[in-house]
Amino acid sequence: MEALILFGLVLGLLFLGVPVGLSLGLSSILFIALFSNDSLSSVAISLFGVGQHYTLLAIPFFILASAYMSTGGVAKRLIRFAIAAVGHFRGGLAMSSVLACMLFAALSGSSPATVVAIGTIAIAGMRQMGYSKDFAAGIIANAGTLGILIPPSIVMVVYAASVDVSVGRMFLAGVIPGILAGLMLMLAIYIVARIKNLPAGEWKGFGELAAGGKEAFWGLFLVVIIMGGIYGGVFTPTEAAAVAAVYSAFIAVFIYRDMGPLKETPWVTAEDGIEGRIGFNGVVYFLSFWMVFMIISFFIFADSDSMTFGQRALIGLILGAALGGWYMTWRGEGGVAALPKYIGRGVPILIRNLATMGRMFFPALMGKESRNVTMDATRTTVMLMFIIANALLFAHTLSAERIPQLITEWMLSVGFNWFTFLILLNVILLIGGQFMEPSGLLLIVAPVVFPIAMELGIDPIHLGIIMVVNMEIGMITPPIGLNLFVTSGITGMSLARVVKAAAPFVGVLFIFLILVTYVPWISTALPTAIMGPEIVTQ
Amino acid sequence: MMAYWPHLLLLGLVAVLFVWERFKPQAVAQLEESCLIGLMFLITAVSFGQVVARYGFNTGWSAALEFTTLAFSWLILLGMSYGIRAGTHLGVDILLKALPAPVMRYVAAFGAFAGLLYGLILLDASWMSYLGVDTRSGAIEYWQKMYKINIGTEELRWPVWVQETFDVKDRVQRWLVLIMLPVGLALLSFRSLQAMIQILTGQRDMVIASHEAEELVEENKGALKELD
Repeated sequence: MEALILFGLVLGLLFLGVPVGLSLGLSSILFIALFSNDSLSSVAISLFGVGQHYTLLAIPFFILASAYMSTGGVAKRLIRFAIAAVGHFRGGLAMSSVLACMLFAALSGSSPATVVAIGTIAIAGMRQMGYSKDFAAGIIANAGTLGILIPPSIVMVVYAASVDVSVGRMFLAGVIPGILAGLMLMLAIYIVARIKNLPAGEWKGFGELAAGGKEAFWGLFLVVIIMGGIYGGVFTPTEAAAVAAVYSAFIAVFIYRDMGPLKETPWVTAEDGIEGRIGFNGVVYFLSFWMVFMIISFFIFADSDSMTFGQRALIGLILGAALGGWYMTWRGEGGVAALPKYIGRGVPILIRNLATMGRMFFPALMGKESRNVTMDATRTTVMLMFIIANALLFAHTLSAERIPQLITEWMLSVGFNWFTFLILLNVILLIGGQFMEPSGLLLIVAPVVFPIAMELGIDPIHLGIIMVVNMEIGMITPPIGLNLFVTSGITGMSLARVVKAAAPFVGVLFIFLILVTYVPWISTALPTAIMGPEIVTQ
Repeated sequence: MMAYWPHLLLLGLVAVLFVWERFKPQAVAQLEESCLIGLMFLITAVSFGQVVARYGFNTGWSAALEFTTLAFSWLILLGMSYGIRAGTHLGVDILLKALPAPVMRYVAAFGAFAGLLYGLILLDASWMSYLGVDTRSGAIEYWQKMYKINIGTEELRWPVWVQETFDVKDRVQRWLVLIMLPVGLALLSFRSLQAMIQILTGQRDMVIASHEAEELVEENKGALKELD
């Protein structure tokens, strides 16, 4: 009875237009004031205590990284790379868009940002190649939802924090499903393209693939830092996120130079000439290779004593020098004998750039554009954390009233088994996902369903992935699908038209959901293989 | 009456903010954003610095973790009221949009009123006894208790020069850290009241944003409209 009052209050407030966080918080507070003996001081303290969750501290960092990665040209570079990789298939441009969405999702973790960044470029491109606008919009709306499934994902951090599983495991668990969902979408596109005879791009060769990959590299290396750092056992997820945030800002402002004071300053100017360019590239390849080698080997050998820092540095130096030297002899003229000339031309350019970067460090840090991007990230953080804080309060109230246990007992007595339970879970989440922000919904539903799932022998990681995939589908189903709004917004198509355009691919995602729900292997294989079997403690 | 001095201080703070905003709305908005950005920057810089110090130089600041989590709490608490003012809190607006305009105004105002209620109950719930609800205490009472016993935080210490100049204990007082709790709630109540009045007088539609990407979509609105 009391449970009904609590849930009724939340829903009532929600539909009256009270902010999600306030609906959850106010219901809990009123409930505690009216029905329980708990002191409100402890409630107020728990509000302060949200910030003390070390795991949740990863959220602002991921949001910050995402904000910097969403500025300017990262999307363009990823699309170029994706086209070079899969553009030559039939329907290739559409498949490239899906791939670009997957890559971007890995960097940004935000679905609407993915739709806007990739969509604005890719939809226009597809239209030019003769795809219908509806087809293009439908693909982007769907592929954009991969953002919360492909790690790093904020929703996964929230799930991990709320039911106390490892963030690292959740991230790993998202890898295979994320790739699978992308492949399924691409396969669907390929079939449609065969039937409709959609155009295929031309294969531009491995040179273009390498060139595209080189451009996208610094963005994609973010994933290596996060995943490598966590699984190399070097960083905690929160530390990895902090590094990711600083790295993203650095790449956006100083390397890609899409924003900030260096926007109009190219690395190499026309005056440096062809020799300067070759020399500079060679030197940079050498240094970059060495740096990347050092970072990756640090992740791999951090815990072992089999290799010292000096040894790693030496190996990296030799390999990097070989790469840089090979490039300069390949591109330049005069073979090995000309190397000193090219290096002599390249090093001053590098020093010039480093000096500019040094001089511009504080202006870039304090500049207007950086401020705006950081403010955007702060706004999102604050909004999300308020929901999370209150959802935690709500979840706490639920468990203080033993409501999850009551529901568990009831469900077991009615005779739910894992199969029917998962159907019910899917239905609840699909409906809930229409009205609620994913992290908030997850925090409310997780504590209720988690004990039942454990009772029925469902793997907690698997449960998490099921929930995330449900949230994904919630984003592209009416009436309140976030990606539908965003797609409709940028394309100027009516909401109904976007819904119709997205529908066939939503069908694909539904099949994907069923697969993920009933084949636990998809979610648990990778984390089990890398981190060992899960130990479930209750 | 003496027991109410924290209430009066908070009221004073809100009054100062109100008057200041009357004359310099830009400056207050700027300050608010700068505080939030500053906290975000501090959290990131300290966390990153700690990673570099730990793995690069095998050293570190023992209070870094406590500092970042406390700053994170401050960010969340200060952000509540900012969210109301800037209208970034998510909500469901289906029903609101379906209602006729005059009715919608009152329902939307209720959304803001909920924020006021939330803030006032958590600040000090004793006023609810007038409504016949048997409850008391809240953020202010807790803070006052901390002020009285004057214990320190776990790791966070004042720099030596502060200890010497102000003659304080080495560890940062817990009440000082906790002060953001009542302040944040008071600001939330104030902003909610403000929003409620704005909605009732027709200067503002509602407190909520219907989805998180509203601004993003607005910036790119119809970017691809000409294609068809």
